[in-house]
Amino acid sequence: MKITVAVLSLLLFTAAPGQALAAEVIGHIQTLQGTASILRGDLLLPVAIGTELQCGDLIRTGSPGAAGLVLTDETAISLGPDSELSLNEYVFAPEEGKFSLVARMVRGTFVYLSGLIGKLAPNKVQLAIPDATISVRGTKLLIAVQP
Amino acid sequence: MQGSLSGLMAVSCVLVLLAGCAPRPTVILVPDPDGRVGKAEVTTAGGSRLLEKAGEMTQVSGPSEPPSPVAIADPGYISRTFAEALAVEPLPAEKFILYFETGTTVLVPQSRSTVGTIIAAIRRRAAVSINVSGHTDAVGSDLVNEKLARDRAEFVKDLLIKDGVDPVRMTVSSHGKGNPLVPTPDGVAEPKNRRVEVVVH
Repeated sequence: MKITVAVLSLLLFTAAPGQALAAEVIGHIQTLQGTASILRGDLLLPVAIGTELQCGDLIRTGSPGAAGLVLTDETAISLGPDSELSLNEYVFAPEEGKFSLVARMVRGTFVYLSGLIGKLAPNKVQLAIPDATISVRGTKLLIAVQP
Repeated sequence: MQGSLSGLMAVSCVLVLLAGCAPRPTVILVPDPDGRVGKAEVTTAGGSRLLEKAGEMTQVSGPSEPPSPVAIADPGYISRTFAEALAVEPLPAEKFILYFETGTTVLVPQSRSTVGTIIAAIRRRAAVSINVSGHTDAVGSDLVNEKLARDRAEFVKDLLIKDGVDPVRMTVSSHGKGNPLVPTPDGVAEPKNRRVEVVVH
């Protein structure tokens, strides 16, 4: 319930200033091998090195396929083949002391390296995997979501 | 009898297939690029496991089961499973710090040549993203420092643009006095905190 309220208030809060925030760049694709795509709302976008990322993006790699991304707080996540990563929530506003990173690893293989949000507000980082959540204290993780 | 047996086998095959298809998430803690090892806690509705040493792993096998007892991951498993993801890990960032005269957006003399070093790194790496963050020391109000930190960051961004860096590649943030390099009590002047950090990826 608490979580629902938090998510709801976050939605209301971020929705209020209009479309500007929705298009905010939260990071970039830095590396790419094989194929990858981004599902943004109803749009399926191709991925290239330098592609900008937005909050809510679902990043998928093909087979063969692998991609690495860096968010504006220096969080780095790379995806192996047949992987799917959802960037659910991202707030990096250090001047206001506001931080949040919620990412869901749906399937595949991942390397996660904490950025500044993990350093400044570690309890605001949540990585979701099927049936579990991972809380992180400034670190690097290997995560596999595979049969 | 034979019919029911084959039926049973079919059912158990389906069960095996289902079990085989269900994801069993695995989480492994490894050292940061600088060699430090942090901590990670994996939590299901059934319980939690804390990973705190390099190579420790746990597996999730259902929503209500606690994650498996912590074990050491087999290096062979790591290289088989994560080879592709590890191969595309972004290069570690390069960080540069420019220092400022107190209360201003004027670079201290020793920092003037750093701009050239940053430009060289951006070109060498064919950098995809450049994060510019402004900071102040603890002298003055939050409001003043928020603006000063942003002005410093924008000043550095403009210097980089003048040297040909694509503004689309840059993001700017202000940390005010909230993220000091050298923590001090409020009101203390500290030259090392009057800075802009440029992180090149």
